[in-house]
Amino acid sequence: MIQLTNIEKYYANKGVKNYVLRLVTTTIKQGEFVSIMGPSGAGKSTLLNIIGMLEEPTYGTYEFLGENVTSLNERKRIELYRNHIGFVFQAYHLIDEMTVYENIEAPLLYKKIGSSERASRIADLLDRFNIVAKKDLFPNQLSGGQQQLVGIARALAAQPSIILADEPTGNLQSAQAEEIMELFKKLNQEDGITIIQVTHSEKNAQYGNRILHIADGVVKEDVTVA
Amino acid sequence: MFKLNLKIAWRNLWKNKGYTLINILGLSIGMASCILIFIFIRYQLSFDENFKNEGRIYRVITSWTAPDSFFESPGTARPLPPAMRNDFRQQFDRVGTIQGGGGIIKVKDASGKESIKTAEDVQYADPDFFEILDFKWLEGNPRQSLSQPNTVVLSDEMANKLFGDWHKAVGQSINFKNKLDLKVTGIIEKTPENSSFPLRIIISYKTYQNQAGPELTSWGSVSSSSECYVLLKKGVSIEDANRSIPQFIDKYYQKDDISKEGHRFQPLRDIHYNEELGNFANKVISKKELYGLAIIGVFLLLTACINFINLATAQAVSRGKEVGVRKVMGSLRRQLIVQFLTETLTITVLSLLVGCVLTEIALPGMQSLFKDHISFSIIEHPIILAFMLVLMILVSFLAGFYPAMVMSGYSPALAIKNKITANAGGLSLRKILVVVQFAITIILIIGTLVVLRQMSYMREKPLGFIPTAVALVDIPSDSIAITRYHTLQDQINKIPGVLSTSYCSAAPSSDFNNESNFRYNSTVNATFQANTKTGDENYFKTFGLAIIAGKGLTKSDTVRNFVVNETMLKKLNVVNYNEALGKTIRVHGKTGTIVGVVKDFNNRSLHEPISPIILNSDKESYTTIAIKLDSKSILPAMQAIEKTWNNVLPEYVYGSTFLDDKISEYYQTEKIMGALFKVFAGVIIFISFIGLFGLISFVATQRTREVAIRKVLGASTVELVKMLNGSFLMMVFIANLVAWPLAYLFVAKWLATFTYRIEVNIWPFILAMIISMTITLITVSIRSYKAAVANTIDALKYE
Ligand SMILES: Nc1ncnc2c1ncn2[C@@H]1O[C@H](COP(=O)(O)OP(=O)(O)OP(=O)(O)O)[C@@H](O)[C@H]1O
Ligand SMILES: [Mg+2]
Repeated sequence: MIQLTNIEKYYANKGVKNYVLRLVTTTIKQGEFVSIMGPSGAGKSTLLNIIGMLEEPTYGTYEFLGENVTSLNERKRIELYRNHIGFVFQAYHLIDEMTVYENIEAPLLYKKIGSSERASRIADLLDRFNIVAKKDLFPNQLSGGQQQLVGIARALAAQPSIILADEPTGNLQSAQAEEIMELFKKLNQEDGITIIQVTHSEKNAQYGNRILHIADGVVKEDVTVA
Repeated sequence: MFKLNLKIAWRNLWKNKGYTLINILGLSIGMASCILIFIFIRYQLSFDENFKNEGRIYRVITSWTAPDSFFESPGTARPLPPAMRNDFRQQFDRVGTIQGGGGIIKVKDASGKESIKTAEDVQYADPDFFEILDFKWLEGNPRQSLSQPNTVVLSDEMANKLFGDWHKAVGQSINFKNKLDLKVTGIIEKTPENSSFPLRIIISYKTYQNQAGPELTSWGSVSSSSECYVLLKKGVSIEDANRSIPQFIDKYYQKDDISKEGHRFQPLRDIHYNEELGNFANKVISKKELYGLAIIGVFLLLTACINFINLATAQAVSRGKEVGVRKVMGSLRRQLIVQFLTETLTITVLSLLVGCVLTEIALPGMQSLFKDHISFSIIEHPIILAFMLVLMILVSFLAGFYPAMVMSGYSPALAIKNKITANAGGLSLRKILVVVQFAITIILIIGTLVVLRQMSYMREKPLGFIPTAVALVDIPSDSIAITRYHTLQDQINKIPGVLSTSYCSAAPSSDFNNESNFRYNSTVNATFQANTKTGDENYFKTFGLAIIAGKGLTKSDTVRNFVVNETMLKKLNVVNYNEALGKTIRVHGKTGTIVGVVKDFNNRSLHEPISPIILNSDKESYTTIAIKLDSKSILPAMQAIEKTWNNVLPEYVYGSTFLDDKISEYYQTEKIMGALFKVFAGVIIFISFIGLFGLISFVATQRTREVAIRKVLGASTVELVKMLNGSFLMMVFIANLVAWPLAYLFVAKWLATFTYRIEVNIWPFILAMIISMTITLITVSIRSYKAAVANTIDALKYE
């Protein structure tokens, strides 16, 4: 599904190239649950952002679903966002001015999905995540864990084939974090959604089936979880 | 504390350079406009001030009331002043006369050679006039200088012109109208620009009495240039004088006249503002126009302040944290308010400085628009400085108070937790203000469109005659000149480029109008008055008038034939125009028959309806020779005409105008209105739209994160731009709806002052909507687009 070949990323500062990623080559297949780990500043977020097409690599090629997407035009990229990729952020990034219901609805509107279909999908998600009662509340009326549930529901609304999550539990307490991880695992196993997450916690990484260890922009280890 | 506040204010303004610039730009332009308007209004309100007895001085107005008409003149019958002096002893201290006139002035130098020959306006005045209005006398005094016939008083400026130095003028003499030698007996100081009395050559009233004819004792003829002024006795009210008027009228006027005479007393300080009556200076402006300007000034200021409030409340959110921290440190709300107001004051002071520069730049344009010298000297008029100070304080409060209240009101806990959202900054108020601002803008756009359309309608409306390429050349009407009329016309007709010439009393449309009683096929006067004009047999051809029944005037030096217009016959209930032919008319004491009917033409400005008109030939009454020219050779022909004229009439002074210029002079006020509307509509559009740009910039910045989130959810650039623009377009749309009825009221009222006017239709309204929505769309899209294509990751990366 994802094929990264010799991906490099650097920031030039006063003529000096500061490499964030060096010659990263890896393949992620459909249905995998990958955790990216490594010390702070290693380049984890950068790698995930490149996978999510939020940043472009300075060098190397990136194929998504067999198509070269290294530098994609806006229209195509939006197409991928609408149909294939869902994002989950550490800081949730819900839209403050919109209710829970409206937040989940937003991607469906962009995907131009009919209103009855929309209503039924949202109802499903609210039900599945046990947040039916909260649907008319605004983000600042929810706890962090609840906000992240809404964030995940929103990412799932468009029925993506892959979810990219940068420290999805970074702002949460361990009980809430476990709940989220269980959810990811279930989504991966039952719905076959590919998941790539960045995490600092060894425990969280165990929910997946593969771990990429990164240090100084280089993939040091690529282990499969039993 | 103040110094610290100022320092913080300065840093904050510097930090938000963009918004500061927008604020200063908007406020300074708004303030400059206000200052310009204030200077102009102050100048207009200063007319005829500083006379010692200002409050007790009145001009006597004559009126005529007929069954279907009412007419007022600033003039009085010539015997009125002495009669009033006699009959109003109880009420008036003084009754003075001033009579307008004009003629050729000649001055001989020491060797007896003619050194100056010039045509000038003059006034004849009695000493009482100068005792009522205390002009400054440099030499002589009213009683000594103006009690004898053949004496003249000059203004210092005129004396300098005629004799080189006014100190040497007294005792010298000037020749007037080729027949009178007048001795200079006094010098007065030149009257200022802001005076309704442009006195430069004042001849003693006794001189006028010596030459005048029977009109001197006639109560039946009134010229608007024979004015009478009275000085009310101290402690007597004008009501007391008014009570004696009926008795006065009974005593002097004929009782069986169709139109009834009446009098009233017009206060001195009303003369400049009464457009109906006019004055010697021909400078009038109605109070209504001044109010209109003042309102536009207030509007401009309001729009600029709204910009300020909107941007300040929008920014308020980002300053919430500062407020919270300060409050936790122990700052009182009052202190915060003072701090925010200091910032506003800083901006206002900067704007005022920029505004003064703008005012200086715009002043020459304004002076040429109003053809008046207007001064912006603070030393000459300290009131302007006072106005600017008041303006500064007013703007600081108007613009600064509300934002200061909002910002200082944040609760510290919320503010520190950064929980204040844009809504708390008063988004709904901001929306209302934007709607108000744009409603004002749109009203001005609609007003401008309608004023411009009415003006082009007036330019293009067929008047019933052809005013282009017609020169009106003055001719003297004394008996010597009349004998040369024939030669003059013959020679002018031979000039290449001259198509036809006609002697006449006035052009078809003219300021000079003569209304008179008349009889139509009857021995009693008609119930209405006719406008009478005289011209020779070429009158119709020269002005392109159309005869629709009978024929035009035939060659005749005396009154025998008449031509009337359609309106005349309609008013007389004559349906078949041919019926009127051959009927008799008696007017000005002379009888003749109707030989033709002329198609209606506009004989006054388009503010007024067409009058019933009687035309005839009368050599004695001609004042003008109208010359129709080939429009390709106007310039050489005019030069040749002047040369010929001076050859035939060497003792007189040549003067000419063009008919179309004369007609466009009717619409001087409208032209000024149009120009002002264009300028101020432009200014207000500019202010509103930079405000809008500021606001959208702010909103875009504030929604950067939201835009980024939506982008990763799959929103396209177009969708994002639409989302950011939507509310602005909606606000401007609502503003249109609010503005339309108000603009309609205003426009309909203004158009009602024209008898001939465009129909108010939907187009100016639609056009204003298109203009405002388009500019909004462009303004807002520029900024939204920038926000929509901004790098997503920067907004999402760090919390
Ligand atoms: N715009 C930028 N300019 C220069 N350097 C940058 C920029 N963005 C990121 N970096 C650098 O790239 C490196 C990798 O950053 P990245 O955010 O990928 O780290 P990370 O592994 O996600 O760390 P963390 O665990 O703290 O989130 C860091 O050293 C950072 O300083
Ligand atoms: Mg990171």
